[in-house]
Amino acid sequence: MLNRIDRLARVAVVVAAAALVSATSSFAYEGGAVSGGGTIKGMVKLNGTAPEPEVLDVNKDKKVCAVTEKKSNELVVGSNGGIRYAVVSLTNISKGKAFPEGESVLDQEGCEYLPYVTVVAQDHELVIKNSDGILHNIHTYSEKNKPVNRAQPKFKKKIKETFSEPEMIKVTCDVHGWMRGWVAVADHPYYAVTDENGAFELTDVPAGDYEIKVWQEKLGESTQKVSVPGGGEATVTFELAQK
Amino acid sequence: MSKADEEKKSYASVFLLAVALLLVTSVWIVWDDQISRRPWKKYQYEFSQTQIERAKAEVSAEEERLGADEEYQKVLADLEAARDKTTSGATASQLSELASKENKARVAFDDAEFNLRLVKSQIEEAWYELEHAQLAHADTTSQRAHLDELNAKKAEVEEEVAETLARLNQILSEQDEIRSVVDSLEKKKEELEGAKSRLEQKVDGMVIQVGPFDFPKIPKIEQVVLNEFDRNAYNQPVARVDRCTSCHAGINKDGFEDLPNPYKTHPDRRLYLGKHAAEKVGCTPCHQGQGAAVNSAEQAHGHVKYWLDPMYEGDNVQASCIGCHADVRMDAAEKIALGEKLFEQVGCIGCHLVEGYGDLPKIGPYLGRISAKVDADWLVDWVKNPHEYRPRTKMPNFYFDGDEAEAIAGYLLSASADESEAWLGEHDLPSGIDSGNAALVAEGERLVDSLGCRGCHGLAPGESPALLGEGKDIAPNLSNIAEKTNARWAYHWVKDPRGYSPVARMPSLRLSDQEAKAIVSYLMTLGEAATDDSATRARLLEADNVVIGEALVRKYGCAGCHNVPGMESESRIGVELSVFGSKPLEELFFGNRTDIPHTWEDWTFNKINEPRIYETERIEQVMPHFALAESDIDAILTFLASRQEGYVPKEYRPSDYDNEVTLVEGRRVIERYNCVGCHVVSGRGGAILAHYEENPTLGPPILTGEGAKVQANWLYGFLQRPVPLRPWLEVRMPTFGLSDEETAAIVNYFAAEEKIDNPYVHVDLASLSPEYVEAGELLASDDYFSCWTCHQQGDRKPEGPKEGWAPDLAMAYERLNPNWIVDWIKDPQALMPGSRMPSFYDFTDDSPDGPDDVLGGSDLEQVKALRDYILTLHAPTGAVAQPAVATDAEESAPEPAEMPSEETAAADSSAASEAQG
Ligand SMILES: [Cu+2]
Repeated sequence: MLNRIDRLARVAVVVAAAALVSATSSFAYEGGAVSGGGTIKGMVKLNGTAPEPEVLDVNKDKKVCAVTEKKSNELVVGSNGGIRYAVVSLTNISKGKAFPEGESVLDQEGCEYLPYVTVVAQDHELVIKNSDGILHNIHTYSEKNKPVNRAQPKFKKKIKETFSEPEMIKVTCDVHGWMRGWVAVADHPYYAVTDENGAFELTDVPAGDYEIKVWQEKLGESTQKVSVPGGGEATVTFELAQK
Repeated sequence: MSKADEEKKSYASVFLLAVALLLVTSVWIVWDDQISRRPWKKYQYEFSQTQIERAKAEVSAEEERLGADEEYQKVLADLEAARDKTTSGATASQLSELASKENKARVAFDDAEFNLRLVKSQIEEAWYELEHAQLAHADTTSQRAHLDELNAKKAEVEEEVAETLARLNQILSEQDEIRSVVDSLEKKKEELEGAKSRLEQKVDGMVIQVGPFDFPKIPKIEQVVLNEFDRNAYNQPVARVDRCTSCHAGINKDGFEDLPNPYKTHPDRRLYLGKHAAEKVGCTPCHQGQGAAVNSAEQAHGHVKYWLDPMYEGDNVQASCIGCHADVRMDAAEKIALGEKLFEQVGCIGCHLVEGYGDLPKIGPYLGRISAKVDADWLVDWVKNPHEYRPRTKMPNFYFDGDEAEAIAGYLLSASADESEAWLGEHDLPSGIDSGNAALVAEGERLVDSLGCRGCHGLAPGESPALLGEGKDIAPNLSNIAEKTNARWAYHWVKDPRGYSPVARMPSLRLSDQEAKAIVSYLMTLGEAATDDSATRARLLEADNVVIGEALVRKYGCAGCHNVPGMESESRIGVELSVFGSKPLEELFFGNRTDIPHTWEDWTFNKINEPRIYETERIEQVMPHFALAESDIDAILTFLASRQEGYVPKEYRPSDYDNEVTLVEGRRVIERYNCVGCHVVSGRGGAILAHYEENPTLGPPILTGEGAKVQANWLYGFLQRPVPLRPWLEVRMPTFGLSDEETAAIVNYFAAEEKIDNPYVHVDLASLSPEYVEAGELLASDDYFSCWTCHQQGDRKPEGPKEGWAPDLAMAYERLNPNWIVDWIKDPQALMPGSRMPSFYDFTDDSPDGPDDVLGGSDLEQVKALRDYILTLHAPTGAVAQPAVATDAEESAPEPAEMPSEETAAADSSAASEAQG
């Protein structure tokens, strides 16, 4: 109970701080109903030949972890040249749709992070599950948020973590050296992770001109301008090259 | 002249003149005494005025703020309205009505009370009558009747008193109710005016009030007396008096940073005056000058003839830090810290004696077997100008000409010939070193990259892991090592440096023969290999040449830095610098130089920068050229300025002075062996970690806080005989061959760094509670925390590759401080940010994180159980007693203060092992 009150108090502080920030800064995001918004559809492509993903060496807890062969998700390219697990987001939106309902979940299953890239709203809880029944640990590498390294032994099916600053955070498990995933801390709901064909879609975008950004862990970032017509559709294609 | 004339003569004019003179003189005396010779009065007065002005401005600003403050204005308006209400209108008449009622009620109450007193005395009287009658054995009926009557009356009157009092209180409370609105508003007003009245009080404290006028206070001498700080000519303690604040009135007050001197606030006031209470230590212990002088700024600042300690200029004031502190590696003392470090480590101590630095080891390499080590042609070039071969070597340039260099090289080869022959006789060139074998060379390079060599040595030209000052290598750069030496020497050197040089700072990496061969094969590809030097050797070893060389080696004091064969008892050739900082200008020899300003600072800077600058045709100078950066020279100059006569008494030194001494002694060893090339110690160092940025856990461990972590006796043993602790590391903790004193100095350093009085905590395994040990074992098992997924336990190794492993918990009993184990499990990231050890608990909130079916679900008890279990791991089975026995209190070490408060006495019998001391 105490803990709940404590958490509520913390949330209250965060909300108050957020309110303060929104009063002084035009960048804080304001969510609400969007009428007559448009859609941005697009694709992230690799400019060049797709590398063969590295087969990961699963050398520990093989009974649980080595059920299927694991390949690196660092750069996954579909047959159409589309890059999977790239994160597309608008960079300069301050008002638009509300964050979707429901919690963001990062699961550890078969000694893999599912999904490989999880989007969570800033100051919202990320639910971290351990479906494996063995010890994992959540070790984050972040600069804007305080890095965490928390054990999740098998009796802890679920833990929660909150991030307050927008950032792409790498997550690893020190028990299983091959485990690797990403958490995208979002300051607004216009974030999308590309599918196996490299496609993405951002819906209910208020009509207007925006800057749109793609991030990929190996290939870096790239931005473009995009105009969204009211009730219409804009198309964006990113081409990323190997560095 | 007749007598009459004499009597008629008037002296009026003379008297007038005399009176006028006397008057002028008197005025002049007063003027001189009160004004001309008291310049501080003007400063203090002016400062007071500014201070008052600013304080008054603050008051008006606050008034203005209140004027604009809606809440305050509303309170004022409400208050006025409430007051008006009480003086006019319905409320006012109600109040006056109540007042007259109050009067009446008070009179009624007083009357009743008076009646009560009367009845009480009548009762006393009746009792007397009754008792009197009883004694006379008379009939008491009438007396009893009278008494009863009076008692009845008393009850009646008491009731009346209560009634009248209740009425009065009722009226009073009605009045209060009406007035309370005013009262609470008044209170609120006072509250809101709090800041203003505090500011007004501040102004009142600054001024003298005369009627409606106020004046700044009359200036007076402000002084701090430092009892027994100085010594007089008879070496008796005398007080020092600092009157600096008589002029520098704002120096210890915030808010005057913008004013010019002498009014302004001390820069970084909180840092400097926060740590050194000005009312206790005054000013001159840091700044110098003539603290008691108040007649002029020149006098006070010591800028007068024959005053030996004028005020320090700029950063040189840091010279004072080392007068009180043993350890100056602290904030805001970077310059003196660097100066001291350079003075010790660049080689100044080789030629110049400075008290306190006299018995440090020689900084240069051992020359007793130099003939076996170096190429003769290289040696001549090196002696001639070492900076040509290694621009950042600490070895200075003596400006020798070719003949002198040949003579010195000749002497060194000749004097070390016998020892070298003998050594070579026992150290053959092994087969298998081959710089043409690409695979072997690559293997050698890999070993050099991974074993830790790069913590000290640069391998590419100009590369350096870390520098001493701006531009000196700590260990030699090896990019052209093949020019200097040969494979035979290098092989035996890398295998066992102490086997060649009894004073080697280079440690043994416990290389296998094959590793050493690979490394030497690689090293011999660096630079152009030396060619046959036998002709040069023969020429150098000619007797005449050797004789000249010996004289030169003696004259230039080579033995100050090197162990030179045949010169073991040579003394330092330079002048002693123990009190160089107070050396008067007259004693500094400027030679023929007229272009250098005649100040101590200019003389000293130029001397270090260009050591032969004051040489004349008649006066030869021999000091060599160190090629130091200007900032480094400046730092050394600050250190030299600190070399003064006088001794600061103990009570003026830091309270933990002894701890500082321990730190200094330990750090000297740590820096001599360059432990900080690989390890971060006290937050500094760890140059090699630049090669491990991708995966810092593969680099040498960070040792900040080591004193709290490990048991002192374990650390002692480990330093003398390192064993691999982390099997996943390729980088290797070397064996340094430390002496007992050196080892103890390092161990003590780590304890001192953590301010730990007792760096060894005894644990009596027999006293551990079996319940806790069992609970710990359960928690560590795969059912709960799965510790063995990563940690080793003796021969029991975890699954997977070594780089995923964690330290051997079977070593915990010998190695780890049990208190640290608790702190570590509670929050590993707090002790070692970035560690791979995850936290199993979160003690920042009250919610339990551990399993609820172990030890009642208490996180803290579970952590202690884990500790107890881990401590038993090395022990043979059965070492844990059944049941638990308390330890002998004599044996157990005292526990750090924070532990006992966590102990819940009965629940944790393991506390007995530590908490009883
Ligand atoms: Cu894992």
